[in-house]
Amino acid sequence: MIQAEMVEATEFPELSMLYNVSGVPQTTINAGKAHVVGAVPEPNLLAEIQRILAE
Amino acid sequence: MTQLLNDDIIKQIREVFDGLKHPVHIMFFGSKESCQYCDETRQLVEEVSAISDLISIETYDMEADSDLAANYHVDKAPGVVIAAKESDQVTDFGVRLAGIPSGHEFTSLIQDILLVSNRDSGLNPQTREFLKSLDKPVLLQVFVTPT
Repeated sequence: MIQAEMVEATEFPELSMLYNVSGVPQTTINAGKAHVVGAVPEPNLLAEIQRILAE
Repeated sequence: MTQLLNDDIIKQIREVFDGLKHPVHIMFFGSKESCQYCDETRQLVEEVSAISDLISIETYDMEADSDLAANYHVDKAPGVVIAAKESDQVTDFGVRLAGIPSGHEFTSLIQDILLVSNRDSGLNPQTREFLKSLDKPVLLQVFVTPT
């Protein structure tokens, strides 16, 4: 149900542009539904995932 | 191509891999169409997998093995799946890499292998609870740059 992928931004420029990647690391959730920039503490990431799933 | 990992690095990784608990299976997906780092990435994961008997590797082609790539939700090359293996059974833990894991991300590759080998996410109880009840797909993509 859940997949986590490291994406090397310079090799995938269209995807990086699509998700407005400027600062890394950027964690993009569900193909652009949400983004978190920087190192994310686990509870924060969990909260973001829960938030967008509830929408 | 010359060996990518030097003997010093291999020695360090071997020590880290002494802690591997259960078998890990790496699936590498390359592409003959524009893929700048496919050969290098393939060689890198092959060299890493050779360091431990608990790590097996299979290499595939995005186009020739498109069904398998679709099954494993691999849509970018070079693509790496780090899965669990028990006898002949491969279990997908949802761990993926897209692009060459160089610089700091090489450490992530090694950590990912350890993680899957331990069969434990190391996550908080609340997170585990939530994930157990998860009934909709979630895709996390962490964009990084080579350092």
